[in-house]
Order: sequence, then structure tokens, then C-alpha cells
Amino acid sequence: MTITHQVEQLITQNKVDIFLGYKDLDGHLIPHSFTRDNLDELSQLQVGENRYSLEKIATHLTEKHPDIKIGIIARDCNQRALNLLYVWNQLDPENIETVNVNCCPSPLKPHGDCSYLEPKQSGAYKREHGIDFNMDAETLMDSYDNTERFSRWMYEFGKCIKCYGCRNICPVCFCTECSLEHPSLVEPGILPVDIPIFHLVRATHMAGRCIDCGLCEDACPSHIPLRLLYREVNKIVSTIFDYSPGAGMEKSPFNIIGDKVVLEPQPMDTKL
Amino acid sequence: MTIKRITFLQELLKFMGLEGRLHLEWISSAEAQKYVQVVTDFTDKIRVLGPNPLKLGTIDELVKGGVKI
Repeated sequence: MTITHQVEQLITQNKVDIFLGYKDLDGHLIPHSFTRDNLDELSQLQVGENRYSLEKIATHLTEKHPDIKIGIIARDCNQRALNLLYVWNQLDPENIETVNVNCCPSPLKPHGDCSYLEPKQSGAYKREHGIDFNMDAETLMDSYDNTERFSRWMYEFGKCIKCYGCRNICPVCFCTECSLEHPSLVEPGILPVDIPIFHLVRATHMAGRCIDCGLCEDACPSHIPLRLLYREVNKIVSTIFDYSPGAGMEKSPFNIIGDKVVLEPQPMDTKL
Repeated sequence: MTIKRITFLQELLKFMGLEGRLHLEWISSAEAQKYVQVVTDFTDKIRVLGPNPLKLGTIDELVKGGVKI
């Protein structure tokens, strides 16, 4: 059964109210919502290597309509993001239907669809002064000493144009109030942004959240190797907290709030 | 939880090239000598590391201050 048929069934059998997928617009796949009202558009549903955080759209939809049933095209990274959003009560697994598609190629499924299949190229200047996209954390730690690492990261962060693209595309950035937008922490309208604080605040907030989809690095117009940074964050979290975000449905060690209120609410005694 | 969070931050700062500038210690109000010892040791450690490069602020000043970018 093709994906189009699967989606058509989900919609016509009322299993979902809206289906989030991609459609072709002038040769580029853009996120699109398919509903009962535009069933004829289903012929345009396509899956290619373009990626977008569809689960972020789902989170926003659920904010406005808590009971809406959403279908979604899911690669492995989308699935990890969904798991994390379930754990943090942003989405209800009861209301989400996934249609799984190919992700990274493996011996079992040689064909893969992902914009990450092509390794990124780093220019000569970046390799000399910054951090090579293809470098891993261990090589970075082994190749450069403390001072050099600091210089290289400062070179990378110094390029930031404060577009907030990394945060906006991030499927697991769901806070209603973002500390990176707080005027007393990050002064509005000022460039360059306060480095490395801006990026380290985000990196710290990615602890226990980042599901390593790499969309932030994809979106970054300044080519900051964010995926490498957040992968290191993940590695530290995994060592210290023994937790891999998005891997399953276990409660995050960073969520200090329980599921239930255990104290009886009581009126305050005004006589005291 | 605190020790885990601080260890996380220490590891992240190490990755960024700011190793050794964060220290966590539990000291009771009755442990004046321990307090003095910890602060003295940490001050000595920081003195060896030199001023925090972040204090220089903007990129221009970092470059002036000798950070290669």
C-alpha cells in the first residue's frame, strides 16, 4: 500500500482530522496539511529528502485544539521527537497516528530519505579557525587544548546573527516563555549576540531534550556546528543521568514535577 | 541532583575550553576551616588559569586580549 493510500484511509476512516506531510511546490517539498476538505490534494503528497519538524506543527495545533487527532509522516528522528513530546505532556499518543517512512539507509533498507545523507563540506577557513562539521567530539577534545577549543568555539558563535532559526525549527523547543527572548538576559536588537552565553544557554536547555535530529544545524545560516555541540550535551546527559531523550517513554530526570498533586489543597488560615 | 547538574555544567564548560572554573563543595556553617581551605585552594587554581577570557566581552576585545579567532 502506498503512503497516499495509507493517508487517504486514515482521513476517510476518521482516524485523523488532519494529516501533516509534504507536498511538492516548484520542485521543493514543503510541509502541508491534508484534510477531508482537500482530499484531492493527496495526489501531491510526497516524501523526499527534505525534512521539517512536523511534530512542532502538531504541538502548536494541539495547543489550540487539545482534542484534535493528527496524522504525521514520521522518520526515526520524528519518532524520537514525538516520544519526547509525549513524555513532556505536549502531545497525547492517543491523538497521534504516524505513517513511518524510510530514514537513514541500513543493510535492511538500503534506500533512505534524509537531507543528512550528504556529509556537509567545511571550507578551508572554517577548518583552520573553527570546527569542522565532520569532526566528532572525541577528535575535537584530542586535537585541541583548552585555549584552542575556546577560540574555535568563539569563532563559530561569533558568526551568529541571532536569527533564532535553531530554536524555531527545534521540535522539542516548546516552552511558552523562552529565556533567549527575555530582554534582561538577551538584549533585543543588539548584534553580535553575547557569546558564548546565548549558545550555552540553549545548549544547557537541550540537556535531556535534544533528540539529535540535526535540524538546527540544517537551519543555521551561519554554519555553526550545533549538532556537534548538542551531541556532546547528550553524551554528558547519558553518562551522568543515564538517559537518552526520545528513546522511550520513561520520565525525564529533568522533569521534577510529578504526575499527580499529592497535597490536599487547603484554604490559607487568615487568622494567623 | 545538584551534583549531577554541576557535573554536567563542568563537562560542558570543559568541552567549550573553560575547564576548571567551576567548583562545587558542601560546607556546613560549622566548618569554617574547611571553607577557608576550599576557597584558598580554588583561588590559587583560578590564579594559575588566569583571568576568565569571557570577561573581555565582545569579539573585538577577545581578539585584542589574545584570543585567536
